[in-house]
Amino acid sequence: MRGACFRLALTLGAATAVLGQACAAQAQPAPTRIVSLDLCTDQLLIELAARNRIAAVTHLAGDPAVSAIPEQARGIPITRGHAEDVLRYDPDLVLAGPFGVAATVDLLRRLGRNVVVVPLPDDLDGVRVSIRAVAGAVGAPARGEALIGELDRRLSALVPPAGSAPTAVIYQIGGTVSGPGSLADAALAAAGLRNMSAAYRMRRGGQVPLESLIANPPDLLVLASNVDEYRTALADNLRHPIIRQLRQRGASIELPWRYWLCGTPHIADAIERLGQARAGIEARRP
Amino acid sequence: MRDIPGRLGLEPGHLLAALAVTAALAFIMSLSVGPSGLGIDATGEARTLIFHEIRLPRAVLGALAGGTLGLSGAALQGYLRNPLAEPSLVGVSGGAALGAVLAIHLGLSQLWALALPIGGLAGAAVAMLAVVALAGAHGGPVTLILAGLAVSSITTALISLALNLSQNPFASVEMVLWMMGSLADRSLAQLWISAPFILLGGALLLTVARALDALTLGEDAASSLGIDLRRTRFAVVAGTALSVGAATAVTGIIGFVGLIVPHMLRPLAKYRPGLLLPASLLGGAAMLLVADVALRIVQPWVELRIGVLTALIGAPFFVWLVLRTRAELAP
Repeated sequence: MRGACFRLALTLGAATAVLGQACAAQAQPAPTRIVSLDLCTDQLLIELAARNRIAAVTHLAGDPAVSAIPEQARGIPITRGHAEDVLRYDPDLVLAGPFGVAATVDLLRRLGRNVVVVPLPDDLDGVRVSIRAVAGAVGAPARGEALIGELDRRLSALVPPAGSAPTAVIYQIGGTVSGPGSLADAALAAAGLRNMSAAYRMRRGGQVPLESLIANPPDLLVLASNVDEYRTALADNLRHPIIRQLRQRGASIELPWRYWLCGTPHIADAIERLGQARAGIEARRP
Repeated sequence: MRDIPGRLGLEPGHLLAALAVTAALAFIMSLSVGPSGLGIDATGEARTLIFHEIRLPRAVLGALAGGTLGLSGAALQGYLRNPLAEPSLVGVSGGAALGAVLAIHLGLSQLWALALPIGGLAGAAVAMLAVVALAGAHGGPVTLILAGLAVSSITTALISLALNLSQNPFASVEMVLWMMGSLADRSLAQLWISAPFILLGGALLLTVARALDALTLGEDAASSLGIDLRRTRFAVVAGTALSVGAATAVTGIIGFVGLIVPHMLRPLAKYRPGLLLPASLLGGAAMLLVADVALRIVQPWVELRIGVLTALIGAPFFVWLVLRTRAELAP
C-alpha cells in the first residue's frame, strides 16, 4: 500500500503534497465522518465513499444547476461551511477546495482536524489527480482507479477524426468565454473541437462582445446555460437577437455547467455531447 | 460666477446648433466603431445584423442616456440652485437601480416586460423625494450632498441585499453591472422598453426652462412673475424620475455625466438655467457617445465599462469643484 502511494506521488509530481497527505491519512483506518466544503469535493466524495461515512456536504451538491449528481446528494446533511458548523459533525476528515475557504481550513487545522485540500483541475490529467487525491484520502483507492479507468475508456472511444477541427466557443452569462487553461477548453480539445477564444484576442478567457461573435462566428456555439434559466440583467446577453440568429444559422448546443464546472468523471458526459455535436457538423460538411 | 457673463457666451441658436452637430457626429462615430472592425461603409449580411441589432441600439441608448443625464443634472442644479446636484450623486440613479434589481429578482419583469422600467422609475422617484425631504427646500450644498449620500448608501445596501439573497450564482458580477453601468450588447427590445419613458421625462424637464430662469431671482420673485412653484417641483421630480429611472433600468448607474456637462456648458449658456437645459441635453448625449466610442477604440485586454470611464473623468472634476468651492468660501 505504502509503495503504491510513493509510486503515485512520483508519477504525479504536481500533486505530491496532496497525495502525501492522502497517503499519511491512509496509514490510519479509513475515515468515517467526512465533511466536504466544496461543490467539487462534494461530488467526488459521494462517488467514492460509502454513504454512511459522509457526514455533510454543501448545499450546492444537491443543486441541479451546478451539480452533476443532485439526486445522489439528497438526504445527506448540509453544512454551511463555517468552522463551527463543521465541528458539529466531529469530522475525522475534511475535504476542501483551493478557493474561498482558506481561513476555515487554517482554523480547522489548528484545531487538529485532518483537512485535505483538493486542487481544482484545469485539464483532464488534473481530473485524474483530483479523483486519486479524494480516493486516497477517503481510503478507497481501488474505487478511484475504477472511476479513472471508466473515464479513460469513455474518452478513448471518442478519438476525433484527422483533419481540421471545427471551431467552438463556450459562451456564458455576461458574455464570458472559456479560454485556454480551463477545464472547458480541455473538454473541447478532447472532443475534437478547436476553442476559438484566441480569435477574439483573449488569453485566458474573458468577455467577448456580441459584435465579435457575429462577425467571426464559430462552427459550434456552446451555451453554458439554458437561455431562460437566469432572468437577470447580466444574462440578457443570452437572450439577445444576435444569439437567436447565430443559433438559427449554425450548430449550437446547451451544455449546462453541471457537466464541466468540476473535474469529476462526469466531464466525460460533456465531452461526449460535444463530440456528438462535432460529428453533426462534420456530417453536414461538403 | 466671476467670469464676465457673455464673453464666452454664444448666441443661443448658435450654441445649440453647435452642440447638435457635435452630438450627431458622435452618434455617427458610435455607429462606425466596434470590435469587429467593420466600418460604416461595410456591406453584407453580418453588417446588417451588426448595425441593426448591436450598434444602433447602443448608439441610440447612449444618446438617450447621456442626454437624459445631462438634462436632469442641469434641471436639478437649476431647481435646487446647487452646483453639486446630479442624478447619481443625489441618489436618484441608485434608487432607479434598486427598483430595477427588485423588478428582476422578484420575478416581476418576467410577468410583465414594463415592470423593469417602471421599477426603475418608481425607485428613482422614491429616492428623489427622500433626498428632497431630507435636505429641505432651502438646504445648502452640504445638506443636499449629505442627504444624497445617505439615500445612496441605503440603495446600495438594499441592492447588495437583494443580490445576496438571490439564487443567481452570478449575483456578484451582476452587482458590478448595476454599480458601473454599461451600454455593451444591449438590444432593440431594451431600447423600446425604456425610450418612451426617457422621452416623456425629458419633455417634462424641458418645460421648466422659464421657471428655472425666474428662480435665479429667488422663489418670491419667481412667484410674483407667475411661476407655479409646485408645478415646477413636480415637473423636476417626475421628469428626473421618469427619464433617469428608465435609462438606469437598462444601463445601470452611469455617474458624473449630469455633474460635468452642465458645469462645462454654463458659461457658454450665459449662466441662464433655462438655456442650459437643451444645451446639457445635447452636450450630455455627445459626451456619453464620445466616451463610449473612446472605450471601444482604446481596448486593453478586457472591455472597459462606460460607468468606470465617466467616473474616472468625473471624480477629479468633482475634486476640482470642491477646491473651487473652498476657495470661494474662504474669507
